[in-house]
Amino acid sequence: MDRNHLKRQVDFMKRSLLDQGYLDEQFIQLEELQDDDNPNFVEEIVTLFFNDSARLLQNIEQALVSGPIDFAKLDNYMHQFKGSSSSIGAKRVKNECTRFKEYCTAGNAEGCFRTFVQVKQEHAILRTKLESYFQACISFIWQDKLDHLGLQEVKLDDYMDEGGSLIMDLYYKYDEAHMIK
Amino acid sequence: MGAAVDHVSPMGMSGGSGQRFSCKNKLTALVVDNGGVCQAIQTAILRSYGVETEAVETGEAAVELIASGATFNLIIIEMLLPFMNGPETAKQIRAMGAQSKILGITAFFDERDQQEFLAAGADKYIEKPLSPEIVIPIIRKLDN
Repeated sequence: MDRNHLKRQVDFMKRSLLDQGYLDEQFIQLEELQDDDNPNFVEEIVTLFFNDSARLLQNIEQALVSGPIDFAKLDNYMHQFKGSSSSIGAKRVKNECTRFKEYCTAGNAEGCFRTFVQVKQEHAILRTKLESYFQACISFIWQDKLDHLGLQEVKLDDYMDEGGSLIMDLYYKYDEAHMIK
Repeated sequence: MGAAVDHVSPMGMSGGSGQRFSCKNKLTALVVDNGGVCQAIQTAILRSYGVETEAVETGEAAVELIASGATFNLIIIEMLLPFMNGPETAKQIRAMGAQSKILGITAFFDERDQQEFLAAGADKYIEKPLSPEIVIPIIRKLDN
């Protein structure tokens, strides 16, 4: 797959995520923070988000099932969760958090339960979609580097089947050629 | 071998493609937020604009830092902090005579929280995320 095709794939995936409302403008802002000093900033932040949010979702679930429901505690957890969701541009997740908060403020346990299912669902969908997106970004970046070295097309999947050792060989060749830190 | 590589990333700007806003003078900021993701993002945003930024997780840590003599042009304080909340943190910072611009920030905008924060000495209160539309005008004003 050539560089241009991979680039189009990445652009298409991002456009789809934005058009379908999974992500909003905040995600674009985060991508604009990436530079040569922080080339993996977005992926690192998103990974941190999914690690943190898994813990928060667990806490919320625990608070929902251990009666009586402590709505103040739930509100606190959801405050953190919504804050980080909106900060990475997770639009649908953020919207579900807002719905949850409304039920929580009203002391509506059933509403909280129902909305929490939606929160988890949107969270899981976004995780899958972003994993695919970052994988496509990595494929493009590698092909771009290999193109500059004049190497042949690389099918990452083939190399991954080899246990990743050929990927490392290519990486070292690239590293020698360009003295990447 | 050794061909020049134009580091092009599908994510973000490659070197030289467009000018990002950056402050002219040395400005400093403090981010007070116990959420790792929010703290990292707010810090990165401010640093990308050339603002030297530190971050702490609690109001107590912020107050301690300022009491030790550190000064900041801008302090961003999350509403819901463990132990001492955002408004109380702002109040204590102001009580020490700090002239910093204080921006209260929260996940869920609430008018009562806004009143509390502003009464405590914050200059502005916004809902997350921290966006360029909000932060660039603040930095520009501090820069001038």
